[in-house]
Amino acid sequence: MNKEIEKLLFNPIRLKIVSFLISVESSSFKKLIEVSGATKGNISIQIKKLEDAGFIKIKKKFEKNYPLTVCYITSKGKKSFDIFFQYLKSYEG
Amino acid sequence: MNSTEQIKLINDTINKTRVNLKPLSFNFIFWGLFLNVMSIIHYLFPSFIQQTDYSSSIYWISLPLLGMIYMTRWNIKIGKKQGYETIMGRTIRIIWTVFGFGWLLIVLSSIRLEFHPVPMILFLLGLVITMTGMIIKFKPLTIGGMVLFVFVFNLLSDPDQNYLIVNMIGVTLGLLIPGIFLNRMKTNE
Repeated sequence: MNKEIEKLLFNPIRLKIVSFLISVESSSFKKLIEVSGATKGNISIQIKKLEDAGFIKIKKKFEKNYPLTVCYITSKGKKSFDIFFQYLKSYEG
Repeated sequence: MNSTEQIKLINDTINKTRVNLKPLSFNFIFWGLFLNVMSIIHYLFPSFIQQTDYSSSIYWISLPLLGMIYMTRWNIKIGKKQGYETIMGRTIRIIWTVFGFGWLLIVLSSIRLEFHPVPMILFLLGLVITMTGMIIKFKPLTIGGMVLFVFVFNLLSDPDQNYLIVNMIGVTLGLLIPGIFLNRMKTNE
């Protein structure tokens, strides 16, 4: 497994974000906070890291003057998650 | 965190994604009631609805369009509240959007080409309901959609029937009853 995947997905918060985005088409920032149980600031940092690595795509828009952040998984993110999951399966005791 | 714990974390996170079918059932119940009420009003007051050549068409276009606007806004609101969209949810949304355009095309064509739109609309509705039922794996809905095909066949073989009554029965069996069943179903998936 490549180092980038290992480094990114061994973090439980990032793993939760990617796992959730794998199972849905898109998710709001608010929902990711709820799913991961992390703080707003922490989620912001983690999704930025995932976006920089090309694992997720972030779209920001405004609705009724309120910012709305929506996250999507990318094909690279899906592929990396699959590799990571297979790796975990092979080590599952 | 060892690999077993990480797999558990993945499973737990994925399990948080629930396809909430309640809003979908509300759509079916709304349209089932809405179209039935429209049909009943038309059936009871034909002279009022058919005052002019186009009044009946206006009645059957403007009110469903208002219903579509209302339901679209409602669905967007529910979607935002939920905070995520599943692939299944997106598929169903696309199917019903296409149905909306199809319905409009049939109704407008029926005015221009002077044919009765009910059999074609019921056919399209049956198709979309059957697909939705199969996607969400909910038999009453699939059956309801298929029942509409029988009504279409019946209407085409005997065009002298009262289209409003056929429409009411079809909408009740295809939309309203499956919608109520879906609403009462416990959704854990």
